[in-house]
Parts: sequence; C-alpha cells; structure tokens
Amino acid sequence: MAANYEAFDLGKIQITKYLFFTGKGGVGKTSTACAVAVNLADVGKKILLISTDPASNLQDVFNTELDGKGVPIDGVPGLVVANLNPEEAAREYRESVIGPYKGKLPDSVIASMEEQLSGSCTVEIAAFDQFSNFITDKATENNYDYIIFDTAPTGHTLRMLQLPSAWSNFISESTHGASCLGQLAGLEDKKGMYKDAVANLADKDKTTLILVSRPEETPLLEAERSSLELSDLGIHNQLLIINGVLGEASDSLSQIIVDKQQKAMDNMPQGLKRFKTFTLPLRSYNILGIEKIREFFKSDNYETVSAGGKSLDLKQLNVLIDDIYATGKKVIFTMGKGGVGKTTIAATIALALARKGVKVHLTSTDPADHLSYVIKDVENITLSKIDEKQELLNYQNEVLSKARETMNEADIAYIEEDLRSPCTQEIAVFRAFAEIVDKAEDEVVVIDTAPTGHTLLLLDSTQSYHKEVGRTKGEIPLSVQRLLPRLRDDRQTEVVIVTLPEATPVFEASRLREDLKRAGINNKWWVVNQCLSMTETNNAMLLARAEAEKQWLEKVRAISSGNVVAIPWLEDASVTNISKFTNI
Amino acid sequence: MMKNIEIFDPAMCCSTGVCGPSIDPELMRIATVINSLKEKGIIIKRHGLSSEPQDFIANKVISDILQKEGADVLPVTLVDGEVAKTKEYPSNEELSKWLDVEIKPHQLRKFGRGFGCGPKGCC
Repeated sequence: MAANYEAFDLGKIQITKYLFFTGKGGVGKTSTACAVAVNLADVGKKILLISTDPASNLQDVFNTELDGKGVPIDGVPGLVVANLNPEEAAREYRESVIGPYKGKLPDSVIASMEEQLSGSCTVEIAAFDQFSNFITDKATENNYDYIIFDTAPTGHTLRMLQLPSAWSNFISESTHGASCLGQLAGLEDKKGMYKDAVANLADKDKTTLILVSRPEETPLLEAERSSLELSDLGIHNQLLIINGVLGEASDSLSQIIVDKQQKAMDNMPQGLKRFKTFTLPLRSYNILGIEKIREFFKSDNYETVSAGGKSLDLKQLNVLIDDIYATGKKVIFTMGKGGVGKTTIAATIALALARKGVKVHLTSTDPADHLSYVIKDVENITLSKIDEKQELLNYQNEVLSKARETMNEADIAYIEEDLRSPCTQEIAVFRAFAEIVDKAEDEVVVIDTAPTGHTLLLLDSTQSYHKEVGRTKGEIPLSVQRLLPRLRDDRQTEVVIVTLPEATPVFEASRLREDLKRAGINNKWWVVNQCLSMTETNNAMLLARAEAEKQWLEKVRAISSGNVVAIPWLEDASVTNISKFTNI
Repeated sequence: MMKNIEIFDPAMCCSTGVCGPSIDPELMRIATVINSLKEKGIIIKRHGLSSEPQDFIANKVISDILQKEGADVLPVTLVDGEVAKTKEYPSNEELSKWLDVEIKPHQLRKFGRGFGCGPKGCC
C-alpha cells in the first residue's frame, strides 16, 4: 500500500513562537523555512528568519545583502532575515579573547593562543553562542511573532546543545575543571543562557522542531537520527516534512522515481512514525526570489523545456580511473556529504583498479554492508570498515591499559573523565584512519571516510608534530607521522570530491575543497552523481529539473578546471551498474 | 613551611592530553600526580595559556621569561615564585624534593615535551 501523507498546509499545524528547521544539506530545509516565513509575514505577522548555515544561500533566495543582525526584506512587510556567519563569529570571538593581550604578551605567545582557538570547535561554539542569543533574547521575543531558525545541527552543535543539561553533572562534578571542552570552559558565565536556550527548545508550547527530508532512504534515516538525538535533549514537539515528492509519472524514468519514493515512504524509519508527517511536491524551479517562495506551497508552473539542449562536455568515470592508474596514485579518497554516493564511487574505483591487476584495500565508514556483498571475493581487493564506536572503545582501552600499568584507581578515574570528552571519538577515528592510509606502503588504499573539520585540523597539526618529532620522544604512532606528508603529496594522493548537481551539495563541496587546501591537500577530480540531464526522460517536471542541473555542472567544471566526471541518475546505482555504464 | 608550586601550561585544551593524536604519558603523569597531591591537601596551581592568559601577564616572572624566550619556554614551573624548570614538566623526584613529600614513583618512561592537545588545540 502506498504511503499516504497529507500535503503540507500552514493552516494545519499549530505554530509556536520558535520554529526550528533541521535536516541534512540539500533536502530543501531553506526553501521550506523561507516559504513558511513569507507566508506568515503575508498574513500580517512579524517574522525573524535566521540561518546559521555557512553555505546558506538566503542572500540569493531573497536577492538581498544580509547580515548577522537582520535585514528587512523589500516586498515582504514584517519579514526580517539574518544570516549568521559562524566563521566571522569565530573570528570575533577569537579577537575578543586574544585582543586584550596583544602587545602585552609576545607575538609567539599570541600566535600559539590563536592557533589553539582556530579549531572547528571555536567556529561551532561561536555559531552556537549566536544561536542561543537569539533564542533567549527578550527584545527579539517581544519584537517578533515568530522566530524561525534554518539550521542543520552538526555533530558538535548537537553535543553543545546537550551540554547545558549535562553541564551540571559534567563540569560541576568534574574533579579537574572543564576537562577537554577547551574554549567552552571560558564560557562558563554563559551557562545560564545556554540552559535557557535548551529550556525554550524543550518547551512544546514555545518550540516546534520541523524535520525536513527527501522521500529517500538515507535522508530519512538521517532525519530519524537527528530526531532521536533532539528528543534526548527534551525536544519532543517535532513534525516531519517530506519535500520533493514526485506526484505523477509520465514515462518510465518518472515511474521508477515515483515507485522508489513511495517505497522509501512506506518503509519510514520507526523513530519518525510517531510524528505528524506532511509532504511537499517536487518543484521544477529553484526556490529563488520572493515570487517563487510564495508559490512553493501552492503551485508548479514549470516552463516547458525542449529536450536535448546544448550538451555539456562531461567525462565518464573511466577517464578518472585511467588517470589514477596511469599516475600510480596510492591513496584515493572519495569525499563529500553523506548520501551523494561516495561509497559506491569508491567501490567502483577500487573494482576497476583491481581489474587492472592493482592490489587494492577498500575501506568505508558506511554501516550498510551491501558493499561487502557486492565486492566479496573479488581478486586483489581487501575490505575493511572503520566503526566509529568500536574505534572509540579501542582507543579508550588502549589509553586506560597504558595508564593501568602505573596508575592507581583515582588517577585512572581522572583520565577516564577526559576520555569521555567530545573530541576523543574523533581522535580515535583519526588514528584508525592513519593506520589504514599507512597500508599504502604495499597497496592502493581507497577510502570513503570524509574527514570532518576536526580531523582536518588534526591533519594540520600532524605537521606541527612533525617539526617536533626530531627533538622529542613522544609516542606518536608511525602511521600518524607518515600521514600528512603522504596526503600532501599529489603524486601519491588523490581526493575525489563527490557531489550532486544541485545548489547545496555543490556549495558544500566547494567548502570542503577550501578546507583541504588549507590542510595542503590537493584535489583534482570531481564526480557529479545522479544527473537527470543525462537520462532520456520526457517527463516535463524532470526535464525542467534537468535543465536546472546544468548551471551546477558548469560551476563544478569551472572549479575543477574541467576535471569532472558525470554519472547519470540510475535506477540501480549499484557498483555493478555504474561499472557497466562507465565501461569498466 | 611547604613550598608553593605553580605551573604555567602552553596553549592546550585538556590537562591530560588524551585528546591529541598521540598519548603523551608525560602529560598524563603530571596531571595525575597533581591530582593525587590534591588529595593530600597540596595544591599545585596550573595556569592555562588558552583559558587564563591574564595570569601570564599578572605574574612578573612569567611575563619576563615569555618576553625573553617566547612561547617555546612553556611549560614553566615556579617554586615559591622563582623559575625552577622550563620547557618540561617537573619530574616526580623534583616535586617530591621541593614539597618534601613522598610521591609514589610512577614507572613511566621519561618523555620530552609532549604534544597533548596542542599546538592546534583539540576541539
């Protein structure tokens, strides 16, 4: 039986003072938040819309230069939009900490403080700080009828939301201060504000959490995960919007998509079933400009597009594989957001290299085990998996067993406390990752683990260690010592960035490329996955979307200087099928 | 009268260093020794450059040595206000001698200056 959810209608929901939109990048969170904001403003409400997404395209959506305080929107009386910039906030925060000491402490000391405050943690703290400000500020509460947040809580932000509730038993009971919370320790005076922020979020009469997803398996699972984590914080007033539902099929491709979407909705993750669920139809247009935002909940007047517009000069995956093979690269990463298909691309590359007689080690953090099913028993390929929880456990055990050799129980309890800190898990994964990259001594290593901000930062500091290795006997694993020089060597390492031909994934991928550049890691190839423009559809809606893809393909081509591979939307995006398509 | 010991740490974010990519036994040692001394009522105050930079200015001895030698001189240990050790944490033997208390010898090997969470911080 096909899942049947109500179409979203603002009139059908109980609207609270604070509306909090969350979901992974590219699901239409911003479009939905904007449409709610504009529609409420249109009935005379005073609205503040805030985005904390660094890749936010709110400026483009409203065609208005925005700032962190809020700008009134022409043509929508009552609507004020603010775009928080976490990087900028982090800079201000760093300056507020260090500024007073400039000239009083020597430059080298200032520099070492600055480095310590340059982590991704500082950025997230700053973003969290701004966010908490808005949700607790009395003036804001009085000036607006509704305050709408468009924000994707990343891992760190979620942990920070958890912090105030756990604050009392974590910090107050801590025997040695704030433990590994770094800069957060200095924010103890804000404890009250953070507590209020979480209290407001947990108050069902004040806050509604709106989970946004696509009618696809992975984003729905991610929505479930966020939902559960936010429930754990006491935020129970949630509802789900499934955006991008294709209503009618008119050819075989559109039929396949309709069936696939229905199946994903029929198999709704258990954790989402208890929430009221609405759908929003797929639109042919990008949600840019006030008129489109107003239309978003109402209609779709897609312009008819003639098939077979100018074709883009796009390469196939085998060109990328031949390049890797010819250059003899040893470490191949596929990077990108979850759900863009990087695991499958990594497996396809591994398979192709193995068939050319190369010994390959393929590793993944993807919990889905379909990979080992497909790749099983292929000559020249070995498989491994980085299980984050297991790595954390291993690391904790390693530290503790080392500690037990010499320390008493009190000492061990002391260390255990730091081992529960938020960054320990990332360290553990980082070390596992270094171990795997080290296999490139003997074989080609293909990895689909996306290093997060913290890991990249660690990569960077690996180099600082490197400088000190000469004069210290610190126990740095050999694999860690060798890691960065190898990753920075573009003759050895290739980072393949995987994205989709849509605004958000492309923006996010560009940011990833910048992060890599900062860590001194080169990226040459891009893979744009699931291109509708490469299919043979006659469905008017899909044609319109295919046309919209082209600008993103062009953008990627410009960024990558033409080193871009495109893969069509495939019904069965398995390794076997992609391999077949790309003549591997 | 027991001697007063203070340690001025380099910029880092946790006192045991378990959040850096290497486990630094030296940082674990000093953190736990200080903790165990606290149980005996002996307080060794640690000052973190990242969280309490004001302390590094307010103390004339530290401020002077930083001006002269830069950030690399950290960690610095002061005993009754005088520089007793730089660039490394004091050993258990040194602490034991200065404080005139017995410190159970930890069988940890000696390491040079550790990395801990630094230099880029751990979070």
